[in-house]
Amino acid sequence: MPAAAPFDPEAIQNAVYTERPLKPGVTTKRTICQSCDIACSVVTEIKKGRVVKVRSSDNPIFRDNICMKAIIAPKGFAHPNRILHPLKRVGERGSGEWEQVSWDDAFADIGERLKTIIKEHGPEAWSVSTSQWNTATDHGIGRRIMNHIGSPNWTSGVALCAGNTAAINRMTYGWFPFGDFNNTECIVLMGHNPRRHSWTPMYNWIRQAQARGAKLIVTDPRKSSSAERADIWLPLKVGSDAAMMFGWLKVIIDEELYDKDFVENWTTGFEELKSRVDEYPLERVAKLTGCDPEMIAKAARMYATSGPAVIPWTPITDMQRNSTSAIRLQSILRAITGNVDVPGGELLQGFNPDIVNESTIEMHEVLSDAQKAKQLGSDKHPAFTYRAQERFREPTKRVWGQEYANLVMGCYMTPPSSLFNAMAGKGPYPVKAFFFLGNNPVMSYANMPLIIEAMMNQDLIVAHEQFMTPSAQLADYILPADSWLERPWLMDTFGWTSMVRPSEKSMEPPGEARTTFEFWKHLAGALDRPELVPWETLESFYDYRLEPTGKTWDEFVASTDVHFAKAEYRKYRKTGFATPSGKVELKSSILGDLGFDPLPYFREDPPVDPNYPLKLFTGVREDGFFQTGGRHIPEMRKRHPEPLVFVSPGTAKLYDLKEDEWVEVENELGSISIKVAIKEAMPNGLIRIPHGWWKPEMKQGAGHLSGALKYADAQLCRDDEDYLDREQGIPHLKGVPCRINKTERTAK
Amino acid sequence: MSAKEKAQKKRERSAAMMVWIAGRSSRNKTLVDKICRKMVNRATHVDPKDDFLRDPLIDNDEGFDPDELDRYQRGEDV
Repeated sequence: MPAAAPFDPEAIQNAVYTERPLKPGVTTKRTICQSCDIACSVVTEIKKGRVVKVRSSDNPIFRDNICMKAIIAPKGFAHPNRILHPLKRVGERGSGEWEQVSWDDAFADIGERLKTIIKEHGPEAWSVSTSQWNTATDHGIGRRIMNHIGSPNWTSGVALCAGNTAAINRMTYGWFPFGDFNNTECIVLMGHNPRRHSWTPMYNWIRQAQARGAKLIVTDPRKSSSAERADIWLPLKVGSDAAMMFGWLKVIIDEELYDKDFVENWTTGFEELKSRVDEYPLERVAKLTGCDPEMIAKAARMYATSGPAVIPWTPITDMQRNSTSAIRLQSILRAITGNVDVPGGELLQGFNPDIVNESTIEMHEVLSDAQKAKQLGSDKHPAFTYRAQERFREPTKRVWGQEYANLVMGCYMTPPSSLFNAMAGKGPYPVKAFFFLGNNPVMSYANMPLIIEAMMNQDLIVAHEQFMTPSAQLADYILPADSWLERPWLMDTFGWTSMVRPSEKSMEPPGEARTTFEFWKHLAGALDRPELVPWETLESFYDYRLEPTGKTWDEFVASTDVHFAKAEYRKYRKTGFATPSGKVELKSSILGDLGFDPLPYFREDPPVDPNYPLKLFTGVREDGFFQTGGRHIPEMRKRHPEPLVFVSPGTAKLYDLKEDEWVEVENELGSISIKVAIKEAMPNGLIRIPHGWWKPEMKQGAGHLSGALKYADAQLCRDDEDYLDREQGIPHLKGVPCRINKTERTAK
Repeated sequence: MSAKEKAQKKRERSAAMMVWIAGRSSRNKTLVDKICRKMVNRATHVDPKDDFLRDPLIDNDEGFDPDELDRYQRGEDV
C-alpha cells in the first residue's frame, strides 16, 4: 500500500488537475492509443479541428504510458498518401490501376460477388483476416456476420500473438490470466523485452515493481535491456523455452516448493506431470538450453519462493515449434506455485458483467455444427479451432455464465497456413473470397510466397485500409479506414481483463474514411441481412453495449476514465475452474481427447543442415513501427531507415560481415536483403531479423509490392510440419535455420 | 483458519482496496476521489532518472502546428 498522502481537504477538493496547462485554442479528449496493440490511455490535444499532440494520461494509473508511435500519430495519419476514398481495381490483379467509387457502389458490387461465390462454393469459401486490436470498432460484428452467413474461416495475427495463448491457457485453467504487476514480488520475462517505446505500460509496471523490491528474472538469448536489469538472466538457446520450464518444474517439484494444498485440492494429473518432468533432469535441461544448471535452479527457486509471482504473457512462446507445450508449462508453473487468481499472481478476471461483451455479439451459437466442422485446419491442428474450443462450452457456462468466450479473439480461429493453402487451391475445398481489415496478410504470416499465390487465386479480395500496403495492392476493393484519432472506442481488453475504458473521438476522419463498424454495416446490408447490424451508429451500438451500466455512451464517457469490475480472488473456490474436470488440468483432457499428448513435451530442432548453419528469429518489433505499419512516417524512418540484421561480433567475424554492409539472408524458403548491425547483446550463431519491412516509396503492384518481396521477413518463415506447432499449426519463428550471403557472393 | 489462509485473505482485502482506490482516483470528482488520486499519484511515481530508456522525443514533445499538418496532408511539404 502507498504511504499516507499529505491531507488538506480544502486544497484537495479545490485542486484543478490540469497538470499540463493548455495553450489557447486547444481542447483535449481522453483517448486510447491504437498505434499498436497495447492500448495506452492518452490525451489528445486538438486545435482547429485537428489533433496536434498526443500525450500521456493525467490519470496516475496510466502514468507515463506514451511512446514515439503515439506522439507521431497526428502526422502519420495526415500523410498525403493516405487512402481517403474507396478504390476499385480496374486492371489485372496487382496492376495498380484503380478508379474511385462510392461506398454504396463498392458494397453493391461486393455484395453481389460475395453472394455468387457463396452460392457456387458455400459460405465457407469466404474468409476474413483481421483483429479487433487493429481495427478497434469491429467488436465482433464481422464474426457475427460470418457466423450467420455460415463461414468458420476467420484468422488473425492473434493466431501467433496472444490469441493463441488465450486458447491454450484455457486448456489448463479455463481462462486467460493477466498478471497483477501492482502486487507481485517476482516477474519472469520469457524472451520478452518491454521498453520505453514498445509494451510501454509493462515497461512502467516493471520499473514500479522493481522500485519496491520485486525480483526480475529474464530468459532470453539476447542480453536485452530487461536482461541487463534482471536479478537473474538465463541466456537460453533460442526456442528452448519449454525445456527451460521443465527444468524449473524439476527443481520446484523435487524440492517441494509447490503449493501442496492447491495441487492436492485443485489440480488433476500431478503424478503424471511429475513423471514427465522427471524425464528432464537439470543436466539434460542444461544441455537443451545451454544454461548453467545451478542458475536454472536458482531462478526456479526465486520464482517459487519470492512471494506472489507473474509470468506475463510473452509473444516469444506464441511463435515456436513447442508453443502449445511452452504455454501450457507457463500455466502449470503458475498453478502449482499457487499463483492463480491471487493478488500479485495471475488473475482470472472473467468478463466485466456491466457491458455486453464481444463474445456475445459474435453469436457463435448460430454457426451450425456442420459448418464449424468445416473450419480449415481443425483436422490436423485443432487447438484454437472450434473442434477443440467447443469443449469449453459447458465449463465456461458453469463458471463464467456464457458458453462462448472468444478470449483475445483467439479461441475459434482458422490456422493461417491451412487457410492460405485452401485459398491457393491446395485445401479440402475452395476459398475464393478474402477480406482483410487493418491487416497486411501478405507479410503477417509465415510462407509469404504461399500467401501471394493464395491471393492471386481469389475471385474477390476486399481490404479496409489506411494506406496502400503490399496486401492492399492485390485487392479488388480498398475501403478507406479511419484512425484511432477519428473514432470513439469502447475498450474491454477482449476478455483478457475485466477493465473497461472509453476512448473519445478526437477529430473527424478525412475524406470518406470510415470505421470498421461502418464497413460491416455496409456489408450486412449488401448481403440482404441488415438486421445483423441493427444499430444506426457506432455510438448507438455502444449505448446497447453499456445498457447494463444504466448509462448511455455519452454519459459513460463523461463519468468514466476506467470502469473496474469488483475485485475478487480465488473465485474457483465457488465455481471450480472452467475446464471439463472443474480443476486445473495439469494433464489436459481436451488435448488427450483430440489425440495429442495431454502432457507438455519438448520437440528438439531437426538436425542442422550444414547449408544453413545460422539460426534466425523474427517477430521482433522496432520501436518506431507496429508490425508492418508506420514506415511511411519520415520521423520514424529517420530512426529506422533500413531493415537491420543484428549479429554478434563473433558471428560478424566468422562470416566477414561489416557494419552497415548489405547482405542477403537466405534459407530453404526464400531470401531477403538486409543491412548488418553488429550488436554485443547478440549470441553467436543467432541473428535477429526485424518483422514487417517494406518501403511505401518503392514500386507498387504484383512482382514488386513496395519492396516487400525484397525485405519482408515472412519470406523466411517456414510453415512445413517441422516448423509448425503440432496442436495449433502456428509457425516456429524463434530459431529458423538460415545463412548469410555476402551480396557480392550472391551476384557472382 | 490457518495462518497461511489468514495472510492470504489479508492480501486479498488489501488488493481489492487498491482496485477500489484506483477506481475512485480515476473518477476524480469528489473529495474522497481526489484523496485516492493523491495516493495513487504517490504510489505510481518512479523518479524520471530511473527511466533508463528515457527519450528526448517524449520529454521535449511540443506537438504539431495544425496548419503545418494541413499543408503536409495536401502534399505541399513532401
